[in-house]
Amino acid sequence: MPVVDVDPDELRYLTGHDEKDDDELKSDLFDLGLEFEGWTEDDEFQLEFAPDRLDRLSVEGVARSLRYHYGDDRGVYVPNTNSADWTIEVEDQPEDRPYVTGAVVRGLDLSDGALESLIQLQEKLHATMGRKRAKGAIGVHDLTMLKGTDLRPTDSNSSSLDLSGGQDPTEASEEPQDEMVGDATVETTGANAITYTSADPDEATFVPLESDAEMTPNEVIERHDTGQQYGDLVAEFDRVPAIYDAIGLFSFPPVINGRRTEVSEDSRDLFIELTGTDQWTIDHMCNIVCYALEARGGTIERVNVEYADNAAGEYAGRTLERPDFETRTKTVSKDRIESLLGVVLEPEQIIDYAERAGLDATRVVTDDGVAFEVEIPPYRVDVIHPLDIVDDIGRALGFNSLEPTYPDVSTVGGRHDRSVLEDAARDTLVGLGFEDLLNFHMTNEAENYERMNLPNPEAADADDTLVGLSDPVTIQEPYSEDYTILRTWALPSLMMVLENNTHRRYPQDLAEIGLAAGLDEGQNTGVSEHRTVAGALARTDASYEDAKARLQAIAEAFGKDLETPATSHPTFIDGRAADVVLDGETVGVIGEVHPKVLVEHDLELPVAAFEFRLDALE
Amino acid sequence: MKRPQAQVAVLQAADADDPRRIDEVADEAGLKPETATRAAFELEDDGLLTVTEETIEHYTLTEEGTQYVFESLPEQDLYEAAVDAGADEEPVQLGQVIGASGLEGPAVDIALSNYARKGYGQIDSGEITADPDAKPGQDTEMYALEAVADDQLEEVDADALDQLERRGLLEVREETVRSVQLTDEGVTALMAGVEAAETVDQLTAELLTSGEWADVEFTEYNVAADAEDVSHGKEHILRQTANRVKDTLVGMGFQEMEGPHVDAQFWINDCLFMPQDHPARTHWDQFALERPDEIGDIPEDLVSRVRSAHREGVGPDGEGYHSPWEEDVARGLDLRGHTTSLSMRYLSGEEIGELEPPQRFFSVEKVYRNDTLDPTHLLEFFQIEGWVMAEDLSVRDLMGTFTEFYEQFGITDLEFKPHYNPYTEPSFELFGTHPETGEVVEVGNSGIFREEVLSPLGVDCDVMAWGLSLERLLMLMYGFEDIRDVHGTLCDLELLRETPLVR
Repeated sequence: MPVVDVDPDELRYLTGHDEKDDDELKSDLFDLGLEFEGWTEDDEFQLEFAPDRLDRLSVEGVARSLRYHYGDDRGVYVPNTNSADWTIEVEDQPEDRPYVTGAVVRGLDLSDGALESLIQLQEKLHATMGRKRAKGAIGVHDLTMLKGTDLRPTDSNSSSLDLSGGQDPTEASEEPQDEMVGDATVETTGANAITYTSADPDEATFVPLESDAEMTPNEVIERHDTGQQYGDLVAEFDRVPAIYDAIGLFSFPPVINGRRTEVSEDSRDLFIELTGTDQWTIDHMCNIVCYALEARGGTIERVNVEYADNAAGEYAGRTLERPDFETRTKTVSKDRIESLLGVVLEPEQIIDYAERAGLDATRVVTDDGVAFEVEIPPYRVDVIHPLDIVDDIGRALGFNSLEPTYPDVSTVGGRHDRSVLEDAARDTLVGLGFEDLLNFHMTNEAENYERMNLPNPEAADADDTLVGLSDPVTIQEPYSEDYTILRTWALPSLMMVLENNTHRRYPQDLAEIGLAAGLDEGQNTGVSEHRTVAGALARTDASYEDAKARLQAIAEAFGKDLETPATSHPTFIDGRAADVVLDGETVGVIGEVHPKVLVEHDLELPVAAFEFRLDALE
Repeated sequence: MKRPQAQVAVLQAADADDPRRIDEVADEAGLKPETATRAAFELEDDGLLTVTEETIEHYTLTEEGTQYVFESLPEQDLYEAAVDAGADEEPVQLGQVIGASGLEGPAVDIALSNYARKGYGQIDSGEITADPDAKPGQDTEMYALEAVADDQLEEVDADALDQLERRGLLEVREETVRSVQLTDEGVTALMAGVEAAETVDQLTAELLTSGEWADVEFTEYNVAADAEDVSHGKEHILRQTANRVKDTLVGMGFQEMEGPHVDAQFWINDCLFMPQDHPARTHWDQFALERPDEIGDIPEDLVSRVRSAHREGVGPDGEGYHSPWEEDVARGLDLRGHTTSLSMRYLSGEEIGELEPPQRFFSVEKVYRNDTLDPTHLLEFFQIEGWVMAEDLSVRDLMGTFTEFYEQFGITDLEFKPHYNPYTEPSFELFGTHPETGEVVEVGNSGIFREEVLSPLGVDCDVMAWGLSLERLLMLMYGFEDIRDVHGTLCDLELLRETPLVR
């Protein structure tokens, strides 16, 4: 779950509640679902919360939620935005990272923690919505350090920028597009341009952050700390993502920005750009950043995103105006709200709870009765269905104020046949004096085969009818060499328990009923899973007969006819091993464990053991 | 009459006229002293014998005492030196006398402290006098010492012995000596003849059927002694806890589910409306399989409904995710990370056919998480999973059901903390009060399945569900601190053996 560091003083300042002490704040935050985990070194709250409300990944967002909680704010808030002065032209950008968005924020004071908060928000958004920058990455630049390419028409209608490839921006914007804000035709439309494109990773150069030298993107990936961390994201690209202004390359998303546009506490005007694999995702990451900066006193200015006609992605030839602060509306019926919460509510109450959640609800009458049209602000990325609104209403109402009821529906309970059989077999084993064990289903080849004196199942002469010798289910890229396969039988687990308990008193009569699995092309999952019954007697005088006696008792308890014809199995001593045949079917093996196996497990006494399929007792 | 062998021997060795010491009797009868003593008391109980007790003091000289027997007491040496120096006439310098006496170290103090006490003379201001009438040669303590050494205690003065004990020259040990003497009844019984009864170790079929058992005496055992260890079979405590959970749920009307441990991501994640780029779906959280790597069949129409739920959402106002959705990913095989995959299989009708509400289902089975092994985390553990399907379920029904369930385990005052899961809305983390410690602890995760989950499965009523790790419940109930002691091949057999059965 995400953790966000929040300075309680900033929280008091941003909510306007200077009177709240730390404990009151913690308690209020808990009510919102933000749990206090501890203090940071800088005396900030570490808050943990579920990863739905990503708009709370900064102190500004947390403060906004608190203001709604306190009733200081109500309903949907959408900040004003100024018309666009800047344009992001998109051309020849990498196909695997085709989307870009952005915003300009002016008039900020980034001192006293505001810059750290912005950096934290950026990192937290990268980790969550941005899927570690793969899906979306944010670059923040000092606007005064950018030199836009001048897009103002000179003597013709065409762009003066070579990179635009002669595209006519007015042509693109004539097409009706729902991504566009209505007043896209304001006169100052994006006269300054930067360009999102691609670059040759060995040719282009810039000075990255935390560096003094000009480097190419490939040099960044090889030598720069941040490059080594995120270089994998573009490792397969022939040409890497790059953003240019009139001066040159200034950002290598999603890896690192250039040093020229680095933001400091003195920066007042910011250019924010986001690139990614999904336009909706980066647009909403952008909204969350803009809302946070607006809460710091910044003024949001729109940016035009002009996709060239031949640009990759879904928006070729279109111009988007960003940030997109358009609200969404979802309709939810009064019945559904009431049936899900289990209470009857007045429409006024529903509207009140919605407003306290930062939403706006309007009562409407539909064919199905009374419903509410609920308006959702643009920073809420978690509301993707009307049910999510019911949850918000429930939280505003206070779920714990609801009285629990036991649902008045009657059903008949019962155990699954397999688990009933397993329990009966376990009872029988326990009655015979076995200590019932519970071991891991995951193990490794050495434990499962080699240490049991079994050949590798892939060996040419391997006899795959041997108990334990089926091909194993193997785990992809295991990161513990102890757990690489699912066990094909349970006797190795019992031997390991004996090995780990040689200091405990004997006799040790151990049994386990549990899962064993092996590859089986006949199954839909490619795996044959079965429950196996294994028993081992470790005592100074353990013999085949001891094991056989117990096996006989089990067979008798389940009314099965037991035969034990001699067999050969490398885990057991030759001449002291037999197949377990129940009602004429070979279902397991029994014998005295081979000294080689005993010594391998550091045992100094004999062990007699058996293993067979549980379903043979059906 | 027949009497046990030991009693017969004691009777025969005892005398009617004089008391005889039991150890002598035992010696004569060839019995161990404790056996003879026990037999004597039994005979006394039957009035055939009297047992008397007397306490005898044994005196032993200490090392120091023995030394004085061979030499003399330090105060005697001092007196002799004092007289030699003329202290019987006038006071003499003490230092001079001590030097002449040959006394050294602690013996000086011993001599000085006893000198005046015995009236040998005075010691004052560093000078010593000797009483010419004193007779150190007839010192009673010296006499007593010699008597103890010679074992001639008859004429010894008791006060002198006490004094020697106080001076640490003598050790006194008390011994209780029991003696037996035949009563008249005992004599009569002996005259009438006493036979030893036969003693047997093992009761046999022959003794029982012949009736001989009535005349035999059973060898006595030391019944207080420890017997050899016997290992008893016991159901594993986690299984016991699982069964208790299962019994509770069956009693509440839940039916048990069953299904594969190796399953397609489709059933494990996609049906649950987990976006394919969800962080919990990476290799680092789940066990993807190398072999086999893909499921054979998943129902085509279900695949397209699930795809559409992910991409477009469900209902006119549903949005779905802005994440990629590929069938290839859904076909990939994993070790299941939760048994909610079983719930999906049952709810879809794939497992036991279409279900009509109301229904309650549960499972207590293993799940696998690619976590780091530590005292509270295992790579595989048991998940308790349960769900209720009915028309118009509310969060109040959810609260009521779980309140009921947890009360069976002594966990009360359930609190429902609003939470987020991709597959339920509303969702709650469940917190309860620990029965022993009173702490508020997390006891599970719950919620009402989203329409994006239920609609593709063809379910058009409500389903509420919850999950909890069985190990967590076990640790709460038993207070275990390291789950690895219990579950897995590192388990400690002794801990499993010692843990009492579920109360």
